[in-house]
Amino acid sequence: MECVVQGIIETQHVEALEILLQGLCGVRRERLRVHEICLKSGPNLGVVPSEVRLICNLEQTEPTWTVRFIGGAMRGAGAEQLSVLVRTVIESNASKNVLRLFYALGYKLDHELLRVGFAFHFQRGTQMTVTVSSVNKMLQLHATDEAVPVTPGIQMVEVTAPASSETYTEVALAVSSFCEYLAPLLHLSKPGISTGVVPTAAAAAASLMSDGGGTTL
Amino acid sequence: MPLKWVLHWQPNAGTTVNSQIINEVTQVVESINGIKEGRWKATITFYKPLLREQALVGEFPRDFLGIALPEQPNKYYLIIRSSHIVLEADSTITMIMEKLQSYKQRVSLNFEGFHYQLGDFQLRVGKVLPNHSENLRGIVMEVEYLPISSMEKARQMMEEFMDIWKQAVSKRTLPGHFVHMEPNFGEFGLGDQYSSQHTAVQYAAVMHQLIATVQAVSGRN
Repeated sequence: MECVVQGIIETQHVEALEILLQGLCGVRRERLRVHEICLKSGPNLGVVPSEVRLICNLEQTEPTWTVRFIGGAMRGAGAEQLSVLVRTVIESNASKNVLRLFYALGYKLDHELLRVGFAFHFQRGTQMTVTVSSVNKMLQLHATDEAVPVTPGIQMVEVTAPASSETYTEVALAVSSFCEYLAPLLHLSKPGISTGVVPTAAAAAASLMSDGGGTTL
Repeated sequence: MPLKWVLHWQPNAGTTVNSQIINEVTQVVESINGIKEGRWKATITFYKPLLREQALVGEFPRDFLGIALPEQPNKYYLIIRSSHIVLEADSTITMIMEKLQSYKQRVSLNFEGFHYQLGDFQLRVGKVLPNHSENLRGIVMEVEYLPISSMEKARQMMEEFMDIWKQAVSKRTLPGHFVHMEPNFGEFGLGDQYSSQHTAVQYAAVMHQLIATVQAVSGRN
């Protein structure tokens, strides 16, 4: 299970966001370059149609693979009141032939993406990960070297935190309060609810860039 | 990691496996100074596709297996033998498979017994039992040679061990013998350096043999 919020930021303000995150997280950023392959079950397979993501981390010298299952979002009045989305996520590292296996099982390629950017992994009330990345599509099958941005000039920001059925309320609170620090630069909300870029971004970015993040926003 | 051979018990024509054979095999291990060390257990699960149109079953793998090995308790192995695919994944892959609801677990077989130390060798003798049942379906023996990881380099040593084993067994009249059938690891993309994926492939091959033996026996009857 995880808590998640997403938002977007103009590429010109990403450097300012990085300075802010660096100050807030107190850890070094990690480079991010992942190839994400989304597979769907073939027309006849399964009680219900299913979807699975294969994530290939291209930052490693020897690319590593992870199978990721994203389940439905938590529902109910309690979940509605939260400003973050709580959903089931199960991950498993796998050997490099995982795509071949899923094809043999009857899964088909739905789409693929290349995410390029950076990530911060840190502890702030709870374990959190912030990723800032441009989302790219491939012009040819698996051709990650020839990827082009899906939304030029815009990058995606995602904050995730692992949670359980016992801890999700506290984790959601920790994520929400962290997001408030980023509010002058971008607004983060539940996935699927786009709130666009924020009007204060340019001024906040200029302020951060001028004093290296020393100003309290 | 140390390499191993996984052998299965081939009953003589007209005989079937029984627990008396396990007792005798255990005595043979002890007669060559095998020291009993503890229990072990591996599990093989057969998966079958869940289809909306049963007539299309031929389009999906019929030999899709999942294997949990004691040597890698946090890993799980998925094998499609006919496609020569062996996947190593974290054990959480079983939860993902469950959530996807595209394949369901049909039946599980446990391989369980004791392991023994004999100098540089480790032996595991095990019964093959369906989950929640004492109905013996087969017998397996793992022979592991601890100092070497290269299958080719260890081959002579393994063969010499099997000669000693045959000599020890020959003093008894057992209604069958252990068979080593080495799968073509290259077809699965595996090299000479031994890995747990090799073990998983061997178990899938043993399973295939056990099914063939059961079918041959029921065919004769």
